[in-house]
Amino acid sequence: MIDRFTTRVIILGMMWLGLSLLKWESLSTQLLWQALIFTAIVLLGCLMEQILHYQGDPYILPVVQAIMALGLVFVVRINPNVALHQFWWANIGQVLFYAVLWVMQDYRKLGRFRYLWGLLAVVLLLVTLLFGSEEGGATSSFKFWGIGIQPEEFVKLALLLFMATYLEENEELLRVGTVQWGRFSLPDWRTLGPFMIMVAFVLGILAAQKSLGTALVFYMLFVLMLYVVTERVLYLGISVPIFLLTGSIAYMLFRHVRVRVEVWMNPWLDPTGGGYQIAQSLFAISGGNILGTGLGNGIGASTVPVAISDFVFSVIAEELGFAGAMAVLVLFLIVVMRAFAVSLKAKDRFGQILAAGIGILLGTETLIILAGVTKLLPLTGIPLPWVSYGGSSLIVHFILLGVLLNISNATAVGTHSIKNKGREYAT
Amino acid sequence: MRGVRRVALGMAFSFFILSLGLVYWQVIQADTLLKDKANRRLILMENRVTRGGIFDRNGEIIAQTQTTNGKKERVYPKGEMFEPLLGYSTVKLASSGLEGNLADWLVGVKKATPTQAVQQLFALPRQGNDVVLTLDSRLQSIAYNALKGKMGAVVALDPRTGEVLALVSQPSFNPNKLEANWADIISRETDRPLEHRYFSLFPPGSTMKVVTSAAILRSGINTTDLYDCKGSTVINGQVISEQNDKAHGWVNYNMALANSCNTYFATFGVQAGDKNFLTAAERFGFGQKIPFELNIPMSSISKGTDIPTKLTTNLLAASTFGQGEVLVSPFHMALITAGIANQGVIMTPHLVERVLDPTQNVIFQQKPEPWLTALSKEEALKITSGMVTAVIDGTAAPGAIPNVQVAAKTGSAEPGGNVPTHGWYIAFAPAEAPRIAIAVIVEHGGTGGGAAAPIARQILQAALSQKEGVK
Repeated sequence: MIDRFTTRVIILGMMWLGLSLLKWESLSTQLLWQALIFTAIVLLGCLMEQILHYQGDPYILPVVQAIMALGLVFVVRINPNVALHQFWWANIGQVLFYAVLWVMQDYRKLGRFRYLWGLLAVVLLLVTLLFGSEEGGATSSFKFWGIGIQPEEFVKLALLLFMATYLEENEELLRVGTVQWGRFSLPDWRTLGPFMIMVAFVLGILAAQKSLGTALVFYMLFVLMLYVVTERVLYLGISVPIFLLTGSIAYMLFRHVRVRVEVWMNPWLDPTGGGYQIAQSLFAISGGNILGTGLGNGIGASTVPVAISDFVFSVIAEELGFAGAMAVLVLFLIVVMRAFAVSLKAKDRFGQILAAGIGILLGTETLIILAGVTKLLPLTGIPLPWVSYGGSSLIVHFILLGVLLNISNATAVGTHSIKNKGREYAT
Repeated sequence: MRGVRRVALGMAFSFFILSLGLVYWQVIQADTLLKDKANRRLILMENRVTRGGIFDRNGEIIAQTQTTNGKKERVYPKGEMFEPLLGYSTVKLASSGLEGNLADWLVGVKKATPTQAVQQLFALPRQGNDVVLTLDSRLQSIAYNALKGKMGAVVALDPRTGEVLALVSQPSFNPNKLEANWADIISRETDRPLEHRYFSLFPPGSTMKVVTSAAILRSGINTTDLYDCKGSTVINGQVISEQNDKAHGWVNYNMALANSCNTYFATFGVQAGDKNFLTAAERFGFGQKIPFELNIPMSSISKGTDIPTKLTTNLLAASTFGQGEVLVSPFHMALITAGIANQGVIMTPHLVERVLDPTQNVIFQQKPEPWLTALSKEEALKITSGMVTAVIDGTAAPGAIPNVQVAAKTGSAEPGGNVPTHGWYIAFAPAEAPRIAIAVIVEHGGTGGGAAAPIARQILQAALSQKEGVK
């Protein structure tokens, strides 16, 4: 109880310290209220865990809340005018998280609507492609009652559930294979078909939307989940040439892909033109040195383009320095690793696959955007989970977190009740 | 569950690679990127910082930030004199020259004092550091006035310490009200006021003979032997001729250097061989990066490779008197001269004497450090005696100063094409205990003795009239 409470108090304390270091005048009373509500939700949630005997993974939620708090501080830092929305989404997201965690009785029921999830994913993407509005070169957002929605974020959830059910059902066939092809045995078309169609559909639509980052995340998700379930290196082996092939075809066919790669290879050739984003990002990151410029003192917040979403990490790295950036990396690493730990402990196959999928999704998202802003990979703009500004991303990631901890809790409760049977009076 | 473990391991490894990326950008590349021209960080930081002043060695103000009614303005009381060396720093035009290169000192981010660090942390207005240069405004102004109207450069050094005393490039521009005059400045394409001519590469002409001397001395050729100069000679089918085909008659090494006898140096230079010549050049710093606050292009012996492993006889013969493909910056030529003056040891050149924090505590003090040992003491003395003869009774006579023995060498370098030669002059004085070494080039000025020597003489005279040790 004490531990659970103190970590939350420390996290909240850091958030309030951060907010108060930023100028108070820029914080409206509304924002203050939202911050108070955020605080209340975190503390009440903590109390609820105590009352309802939460027994799942004890690390994931506090770490995510720490990331969330940091993200909120930086969104306020970069643009106080839109920070209010981010607080709303953070609060709604947390409520949704607790709803998923406590209300959902049995996560296995999610597996019932296998093809419905797949259909939902495709429909969401198609609707965006047809009716979406263009933003930053990609057709990925969608106006709905005046609120911009990023359907591809929700597709993540639908697709993950589809994948988990599909893989659980066809695990044996995928693992062994029924068609002999040279030295390799591959699954027959009836098994692999729906999966391949899904992959082609989703990636095709994303490519048409020019959402290269999201396409890459999904591709990694497909491949790694397939590998996790089947444990066949063959699938990883096939995925590399496919990736290289489609990559080079895209490179030759589409100008915007070529520009991306060229800018990545040498952003300094034209740091004011095509290389502007990445050059400014690197200037910001390197401007942080080891201890950073201090919160609110960085220059990147005003010079790096889209600092509030895709490049939020560059601003963090500048203002908190290497120390702060490493802390962020480690926080994400903990979440990802604990997600895999949940997967390893889960008692049923569906739970294992789903938890591993969530871990893979979070890990690849984080790696792709962070490698992009540090020029380890060509830049493909996707939000950094829980940190970047954006309601859709926040809500989806909180729901994913809810599912993850629901699995973790169910596992622990299951084991616990079996273990403790007949010992209830002994203590 | 092996699959999950492996993927987890792969993820952890990727995070590790990512952290190495952070180390690379935030630790290894941090300073390089901060100085990148497209990075406006240093300039934008100055909105909160009062940029420190730049002073000459006597404390005269070269650059200063004045605050009037809360508006900061960078003023340069000496005008054109210190340009383009000093450079500029404006939000619109970014920065260049010393204003750009010393920015980390001037805005107080390098070796920040605890107060500055705290102020930086909380973004409070603060005062940058003052930089004191080794330059002497008096010498700078004489050199500037003497070169005015011509195209060329003057470099004066203290050979004992490597302190740069004057660094002038003409034509230059006025750094005050720069943004208003910018269009005009960059439109001057023929005289290029932004060019740092002391760092530009020129053929060195006969001033190269001091380097060839080192090769001849090292090869063991007897320098007292006499050689009959007939006005021209043929080496390996290539005609080597004297300036105006003048025959110098019977000359030894001293007289050959004094009269700038091309045939002597070509003959004995070739006899000494390409190995000796290239070693001598390398020991004088050819093909090496000169350690300095500003970036200096490397001097080279041949096109393509700065220091080749061998030279053809024809190219070697032309290189001995500074033609062929040899290219040197006036700054490097001054360093070579300073090396001869300082008994063969070239001191690391520097421009920053010390840096003072806002409360005038010294936070950085430059110490003299040797860079290269180009010559032995004996070799240095022999070359010095040749250079002294050149002033007493040779081509460098126009550079002589009453009561002070000057050691000097002239050069008239053919830049190629039918244009007047570049006039070169290198010198140090007093020859027996040198306090100043100098290199002067006047582009298309004619002979070194006629065009460059009088300029150097004025500067040497002014420098030597100052009392030693008084700042």
